[in-house]
Amino acid sequence: MIKKILIVDDSPISIKIMKSCIPKDQGYEFYDAADGQNGVEKFKEVKPDLTFMDLTMPVMDGFQALAEILKFDSKAMVIVCTADVQIKAIAKAHDLGAFSVVKKPPAKESIAAAIREVEQALSQRG
Amino acid sequence: MMKNEDTKSMITVEEADILQEIMNIAFGRAASDLAECIDIFVVLSTPKIKLVRVNDLAEHLNIEIRDFEKVSVVQQNFWGKFKGNAFLVFPADAGTRILSLFQGIDELTDPESNFTLVRETFLEIGNILIGACIGKIAELLGDVATYSPPHITIEKSLHGIVKDNMSDPDSLAIILKTVFEFNEKNVSGYMFIITKQESFSWLKAALRKFVDQFE
Repeated sequence: MIKKILIVDDSPISIKIMKSCIPKDQGYEFYDAADGQNGVEKFKEVKPDLTFMDLTMPVMDGFQALAEILKFDSKAMVIVCTADVQIKAIAKAHDLGAFSVVKKPPAKESIAAAIREVEQALSQRG
Repeated sequence: MMKNEDTKSMITVEEADILQEIMNIAFGRAASDLAECIDIFVVLSTPKIKLVRVNDLAEHLNIEIRDFEKVSVVQQNFWGKFKGNAFLVFPADAGTRILSLFQGIDELTDPESNFTLVRETFLEIGNILIGACIGKIAELLGDVATYSPPHITIEKSLHGIVKDNMSDPDSLAIILKTVFEFNEKNVSGYMFIITKQESFSWLKAALRKFVDQFE
């Protein structure tokens, strides 16, 4: 069951867009961070059920932040939401352990579907 | 360069943020298109937006790329409701590494064919990156762009190149800058997209419309 969602993105408008795409009737608690390093720290503090992670960010990029988060919690659910749609970038995100990858700009349907998949995976975990 | 107060009156912080995100999405698409053509990984960076007077453009761009004494530049003009100039800038000494990366040629003995191949390769990269990037920006903002043929200048100072292509020295320009790197060959470059004051009112409305679809 997803309760807490962390959004890591250096663009305030991108965070706003992401929040607008997440279904509003589920009572999620939102947290955000403006770069990868801040995102890792926020993850450790909040322990979110789901994290949306941008890739191209200052200070620490999303690849490194993803690796750091999964080193801290190997069961962390991280969906990469990125403008970097190169096949190699997407493959690298998957190799590092991203649950899935969503392309920017996100669509409500694709975000809702990605969240449903995370819910299913979490319920199978028990 | 303009003072913060001047900048705020022309483009708000939120508008700059939306434009930056649109540039981020557009350049990500452009890099992907290039990566599909050749086996390459383009390392992207966060785009930056700045508002400057056209008269100060050359000086500003020279400061931005002060690490490059001479440059090779692919330039394309674009028209639509969003119109302006796009510059893809590489350090002049990147030619051989670019050739190696894109044509698989590590060594050329004939200087003339070397020059022609470098020129054609730069033009092709410029055509793909500028076309995909401007095309995506236009698409996201509900516009359609048309382009001039790409024009290349090899191994010159950027100052002359920009000055030659800019009229209306007193008008304002928005610079969208992104830095990228072809890390297999340690080649980095810049893309600058410059749009001038005549596009501002349309641009501001289009940015609002873009973000409103997510409200």
